[in-house]
Amino acid sequence: MKHNISFFTVFIIALLGFSSLAEAKGNWKKGRIYYRMVCTECHIEQAGGAISPAEKTKAEWRDYFERNLHGPQDASAKYAASYFVSREYRESIKDTNRAAKKMLKIPEDKLLEDVKAFVDHTAKDSDQPSRCE
Amino acid sequence: MKKLSKVVFHVGRVFILFTLVTGHASATSTADHTKFKELQVLFESGPEVTSACIKCHTEAAQQIHKTKHWTWEFLNPDNKQRVGKKNIVNNFCITPKSNFEHCTACHIGYGWRDNNFDFTSEENVDCLVCHDTTGAYLKSGDNAGHPKESVDLSYVAQNVGKTSRDTCGVCHFFGGGGNGVKHGDMDDSLAVPDRELDVHMDAVGADFTCSTCHMSIDHDVAGSRYAPEAKHTDDYHVHRRASDEENNAHCRACHGNKPHKKEDKSRLNHHALKIACQTCHISRMARGGVATRMTWDWSTAGKLDESGKPEQIMIDGNLVYDGRRGNITYGEDIEPEYIWFNGTVRYQLLNEKVVLNEDGYVHVNDFEGSPDDGKSRIWPVKVFRGVQPYDPEMNRLVVPHTTGSDEASYWKHFDWVKAVQAGMDSAGLPFSGTVDFIKTQMSWPINHMVAPAKDAVACDECHSKNGRLKDIDGIYIPGRDASEKLNFYGWLIALLTLVGVVLHGFGRIFSHFWRRRT
Repeated sequence: MKHNISFFTVFIIALLGFSSLAEAKGNWKKGRIYYRMVCTECHIEQAGGAISPAEKTKAEWRDYFERNLHGPQDASAKYAASYFVSREYRESIKDTNRAAKKMLKIPEDKLLEDVKAFVDHTAKDSDQPSRCE
Repeated sequence: MKKLSKVVFHVGRVFILFTLVTGHASATSTADHTKFKELQVLFESGPEVTSACIKCHTEAAQQIHKTKHWTWEFLNPDNKQRVGKKNIVNNFCITPKSNFEHCTACHIGYGWRDNNFDFTSEENVDCLVCHDTTGAYLKSGDNAGHPKESVDLSYVAQNVGKTSRDTCGVCHFFGGGGNGVKHGDMDDSLAVPDRELDVHMDAVGADFTCSTCHMSIDHDVAGSRYAPEAKHTDDYHVHRRASDEENNAHCRACHGNKPHKKEDKSRLNHHALKIACQTCHISRMARGGVATRMTWDWSTAGKLDESGKPEQIMIDGNLVYDGRRGNITYGEDIEPEYIWFNGTVRYQLLNEKVVLNEDGYVHVNDFEGSPDDGKSRIWPVKVFRGVQPYDPEMNRLVVPHTTGSDEASYWKHFDWVKAVQAGMDSAGLPFSGTVDFIKTQMSWPINHMVAPAKDAVACDECHSKNGRLKDIDGIYIPGRDASEKLNFYGWLIALLTLVGVVLHGFGRIFSHFWRRRT
C-alpha cells in the first residue's frame, strides 16, 4: 500500500512536471508580440487583412506548421512558414518593423515555438479564442 | 552649477524610470514556485490554492480584504457618497446586485453568489487571477468567481509572478460585458500595443505594465476613478512610499509640472495649468482596432426569433441588436468629449430620486468642475448614453435581475416586472411594480492610449471656431473666441490709423510741393 502511494505521488509529480514542461515549450506572450506586430502588420498591408489565430483549430494550426507552407503555395523556401520567423526575414524588415528589430537575436527555432504556443493558446478550440489579432 | 545639478537630476530621473520599466522584464524572482512542495499537489479548487499561498504570504489576504478590489465599495471622502461597484448603477449591464453569481467572475475572490458572501474569509481571496503568468487561468462566467474546471490549478500556482497587462486586462479590458465595451481607452489591443497606440505600454518599447503607473501599497492599487485627481499639485514623485502619499497614477508623477522641455514648446506648459495632459495627448478613443460601445437602449430588448431564442444582429463583428440587451451602437477611433473636471464625481444612487437634466438625460454620474474653482482642468471623457429601466412611480433607477436561469431572470424569461421585482428585493429596495425606461448618460475619464507627441492634438483643432473645445465655457481661447464689440472697435482703430497715415502722407506730399512752389 505504502509502495502504491509513493508510486502514485511520483507519478503525479512527474505528470505535473511534464505538463508544465509541455506548456513552457514556447513563450506564448513573446509569440503574441511577433504575431501581432510582424505577421499581422504585414498581412494587413500586403494580404488584405489580418488572420486571427481563432480562425483555425489547434489541430489545423499544427498541420499548418507541419506542412510549413505559407502564402503563394509554390513550395519555394521563401514561402515556407518558418522563413517568416527566420533571422534572414527579420533582418530584411528590421528598418521598417520595430518588433522584428527588437526580436532579431532570438533563435529561429525558439521564435517559431513561441508563435506556435501563441496560436495554440488562442486557437478556435482553445479556452479563450482570440478576438482581434 | 545650477545647470549641472539640473542635468544630474534629469539623468537620475531617467535612471529611476528605466529601472522601473525594465525591472519587471529582466528581473528574475528569488523564489521558484515550482519547487514549493505545498504547490506540488493536485488542487481541487481555487480556495485550496489560496490556503497554500497564505501559508507563506501570511498578510496578503488580509491586505486584499481592505481594498476596493475585494469590497467593491468606496466611501468618497469629498462628498461622503458610499460608492463602489457594489453600490452604484451604470447604464451598461446596470448593476451586479442580484446578479453576483455572474458578475463576480471579475471579483478578486471565490464564492460571492449572494448577500451572504463571507468577506472575512482569507481562503476566498483569489491570488491567481492577478498573479497568473501562464494565461491558462480563467474564471467561469457563471460560478461566482471560481475558476473553470478545465484549469490546471497546480500548473498555474507553480507559475505565479508579477501582475501584467494581461492579468489586469482580463477584467478591465472587458468591463461592461465585452472587449472594449465600457471605457473607450481600454481593450485587449493594449495587451500588445505598438508605440502608435500607447507610447508607455509599447510592447517593444517602454513596455509599461498597469502597475508601473498604478503602483500599489499593501495590495491597494493607486488610481481610483471614484475619486481621481484632476489637478495635481505635487511635482515628480514616482515612488509611493506611504499610503498617504499622493497617488502616482497620473502623468505628473513622472513628467512633472513643466512637462514640455524643449524651448519652442515651453509655452505649452501654460496650457497644463488649465488642460489635462490627456486632452492633447489622447487625441482619439478606441484606436486599437476594437470598437467601444457608445449607446445602449434596453427598452428595445425582448425580441425573440421563431425558435424562441433572443434575436441577434451583428454588423462588422459588433452586436448591434440582442434580444437580451436591446440596441447598441459603437464607435472606433473617435474624438472624446471635453468637460471641466475637478476630481469630484457624484453618482446617482439607487435610493435617490432621478432628476432629468437640461440635456434630457439622467446623469448616472456627474463629473463636477468649473473654470473658476481653481481645481478644475479640461478633461477628455467618453460619454456613454443609454435608455435603461426605472420605476416611474418611485422615480428611481432600478435593479434588474438579468442573469441566471431562474423564473425571474430577464435573459431567460424576458419579463421586466418580474426581473426588477427580484432585483429590488435582493437589494432590499422598494418597487412600485411598474417599469418604464429613461434616458441616462455616464462619463468615463480617458487616460490610456497615449499617442506619440507627433500625433497629439494640433493647435488649430482647439484654436478654431468649431474646434474640439467649442462647448467649453469660461475660458478665452484665441482663434475660437471673439467679442463683437472688441472686434468692431479694434477694426475701427485700425481703419482710423490707416486713414490717419494716408492723410498724413497726403499732407506731407502736399506740403512738400507747396514749399517748392513758394
